[in-house]
Amino acid sequence: MREHQGPAPEQAFDVAVIGGGVNGTGVARDLSLRGLKVILFERNDLAFGASGNSSGMIHGGVRYLTSNPRVTEQSCRDSGYIQQIAPHLLFRIPFLFPVKSGLKGRIAIELIDAFFRAYDQFQPLKRGEPHTRLSPSELAVLEPGLTGSLVGGITFDEWGVDGARLCVLNAVDAKERGATIHVHTAVEAVERSEDDDGRGRPGQNVGSYVVRARDLLTDRAVLARARVVVNATGAWGPITAALGNLPAARVRVRPGKGIHVAFDRRLSNYGIVCEAIDGRQIFVMPWQNMTVIGTTDDDYFGDLNDVTATSEEVRYLVQGVARVFPAIREARAIGTWAGVRPTLYEFGRNEDALSREHLVVDHAHDGAPGIYSMIGGKLASYRIFAQEMSDRIAQDLAPSSVCTTHEKPLPGGDRVPDALALSEQSGVTPVAARRLVYRHGSRSARILARLAKSPRERAIVCACEPVLEAEVRHALASEMARSVEDVARRTRLGLGACGGMRCAARCGQIVAEELGLPPSHGAKMARAFLVRHARSRIVAMGPEQARQEALAFAAMRATLGTREDEP
Amino acid sequence: MTRVLVVGAGIAGTAAALAASAAGASVTLLDGGPGASVLAGGALDLLPWEDATGSQDDAALADPAVAGVLRELAELVHVTPTPAVLVTQAGILRPARAAAVGLLDLAPLSAGLVLVPRAEHPGWDAAACARAWNDTALARARGLEFAAIDATLTRLTDERFLAHADLAARYDEPAQFSWLADRIKQAVARYAGSRVVAVVAPPWLGVEHARARATELSHAVGVPCGEPLLGPGGPAGLRFERARDRALGRREVVVVAARAKEVARDGDAWAVTLEGGDALQADRVVLSTGGLVGGGLTYAPSASVLAGELPPRARPSFASTVEAPVAIGTGRRPIGIPGSLFGESPESLAWPFAPFAPLLERAGVLASSSGHVDAGLYAAGDVVADRPRTWLDALAQGARAGATAARAT
Repeated sequence: MREHQGPAPEQAFDVAVIGGGVNGTGVARDLSLRGLKVILFERNDLAFGASGNSSGMIHGGVRYLTSNPRVTEQSCRDSGYIQQIAPHLLFRIPFLFPVKSGLKGRIAIELIDAFFRAYDQFQPLKRGEPHTRLSPSELAVLEPGLTGSLVGGITFDEWGVDGARLCVLNAVDAKERGATIHVHTAVEAVERSEDDDGRGRPGQNVGSYVVRARDLLTDRAVLARARVVVNATGAWGPITAALGNLPAARVRVRPGKGIHVAFDRRLSNYGIVCEAIDGRQIFVMPWQNMTVIGTTDDDYFGDLNDVTATSEEVRYLVQGVARVFPAIREARAIGTWAGVRPTLYEFGRNEDALSREHLVVDHAHDGAPGIYSMIGGKLASYRIFAQEMSDRIAQDLAPSSVCTTHEKPLPGGDRVPDALALSEQSGVTPVAARRLVYRHGSRSARILARLAKSPRERAIVCACEPVLEAEVRHALASEMARSVEDVARRTRLGLGACGGMRCAARCGQIVAEELGLPPSHGAKMARAFLVRHARSRIVAMGPEQARQEALAFAAMRATLGTREDEP
Repeated sequence: MTRVLVVGAGIAGTAAALAASAAGASVTLLDGGPGASVLAGGALDLLPWEDATGSQDDAALADPAVAGVLRELAELVHVTPTPAVLVTQAGILRPARAAAVGLLDLAPLSAGLVLVPRAEHPGWDAAACARAWNDTALARARGLEFAAIDATLTRLTDERFLAHADLAARYDEPAQFSWLADRIKQAVARYAGSRVVAVVAPPWLGVEHARARATELSHAVGVPCGEPLLGPGGPAGLRFERARDRALGRREVVVVAARAKEVARDGDAWAVTLEGGDALQADRVVLSTGGLVGGGLTYAPSASVLAGELPPRARPSFASTVEAPVAIGTGRRPIGIPGSLFGESPESLAWPFAPFAPLLERAGVLASSSGHVDAGLYAAGDVVADRPRTWLDALAQGARAGATAARAT
């Protein structure tokens, strides 16, 4: 439903951040912690793009080990920082690296062993275990599902994370420290302010800009004045730059599409490194309560707002994984996700290896002082990237400030409560409490406190995950969710084995109620969610599932309908 | 006496068995387990309801064989001259050609208050449902207003964890049910001054005698009372099974719990091999195994075939689970031969998005409009290609196929 309303009154900010991925929310948090007044615009939802569709790992920059060990050290230290500020959100994923037998394999395992021996010195920084070398029989004990003739294997340690929640927590923290966050709000233009008061003293890299945006759900215009504008829109970067009349070529990215396939349970307790048909390294790993295989890397030229996996991509991954872990063929795929990496197109002038991963473009050279573009970057290095960007801005706007994002915990990250104790106190099931603590850390108590006022919020809306009604309402009231899809991104509601068949309609009702929308709008959102996820599932479905899918659809048609508009 | 073997115990198979028996045949029915009919929520359509516009063509229901089957299933369904209007727990109001027992039909009602008693059950949020139903064009057009009212409808802790279907079965006990009816009556009594036209009760009105329960409740309360339409997990499937088993029992149809594996010609007759290896003989066979849903057809997406290595040869992406001499197709065209080594790509099958019907819904056995496939072989229900996948349509097809099979010489 669109409501035509007048624009909100123009407000003045120090910094306007465009993009609600991990880089944008990371910068918004960093600057808010430094006392600057920040406004953030996100066209879709927080973590809609690459941040919420990554492999969900915080890794230690192992690939720079030979070229630049300082980068590896920095990455590992940063991984350790993220563990400190959000201990509830990270989980250990021990990886197995099986090596096929043969002359090549016997040489390869020595090289890999030596390589990881060098990596071991950095593991304490991220609380990782040192690598071990395993014989074929030891490998078989750890993971009996491995097949093929193996010369042995290596173990190494990485950390998993829910990327969408990482973004949301950064945004929530920024908001609680005074930032204004607009989701589902598209920036339409970034203009030089006519009454540029030249507040920037000589030598300061600031301007005076008016950011014109529009709330895509209400059609309401939003205006903001800012002295610095940060373009943190990832693969959308060139498009965003064009909105500010900046040359898109300055922020060229090479969009690389990556897909993942999720399976309904943890098939193994170890991540396994596999090889695809073209020799690329791919993996299968336990991730939260599922198994995930990934990933592909292909140039992408399609619509960035609608990226979906294809059956060919799914087949490529399943085929590669099945060579060493054949159980994957029998497993039940419950969904796919696809994201577009904002890989750097042109390397910056800085020769430092890390800056090949990410780069700050200063548009002062394009006649737009105070406008920056953040390009490239990885989930694992978001904090350091945000710090680099914020340090640059703070030189002009808050010279005496220092970065504290590595010390101050993210919301809920101050301590990890005991899930069983919470379960006993509140009466919610231990599984629900455990999952709640994973997502919310110490803030679980806040969500459970809702039950005292409103006992029916104890109802489990999504049984697969599971998600309590209280958590759905919390996501809407305190985490900026505005649709069923947004709730799913924050709580994983509807992303389990049933694909939202049992919970989407109910969630739509709650969204509508909580946000004061007509209930028919909630039903519409539920349909949109179901359709989107059915499309993501169908490319990975097996024969049994096709039948179940048809049945589930019949149930949905009977009770919710499929038409966009009400009957 | 003609021996008719019906493969599949959904609504199409049940109708075929009843019609064939009524026409004097000796009938055996293979029940391979629950399918779409059992999991359907009780909204009984002749056409997909979203495509049905205003008046529907009821000609299919006038066929004597179809009318006969409807009479035999009267404890489950009664097709009224006017279509029904149902409330669904997903929050919409929708038309249906008819409603299974227990469901509240709003069609005769207008201008008044419909009360929705609250219950302490995670699957029953009266306030949310009332809000959603009020926000529909059908409610506004009829001047119906839904209102959640306070009531205490649970007394045992376990009732809060039971699925709706299990809770409904508990209320088959008359003493239990009169307690529930009493509570609803008390809750509604507080609104004596308002123009109350109906009550939407939680979907617990029993399994064995839901019609009697709904009538009893309506008498006690003084206005029509009934349930909303639920997705899977509701009591509608259990009610279908009970009504079916009683009707088949009255007709002395032999029910065999087994799945057919092969249907092959055996001279003038047919031989049906079961999964366990046993074989049955019959003069006529009705295939009513359901669509993809019931397992009547399998779909082998290329992705899973090619997960490992290339397949030995190209395989059709759709096939019948029963090896019968039938052609699988959509839109009256066979699709047995894949267009390429990879078959139909899943993206083109897609989820059944409006506005087009996808392959997943259209694929089936190619049959003539009377269900005729081969001499003595008939198909009915969702297994037939390019038919509307609806309950009453399946019943009509099944009844016609059963009657034709019994009479054909």
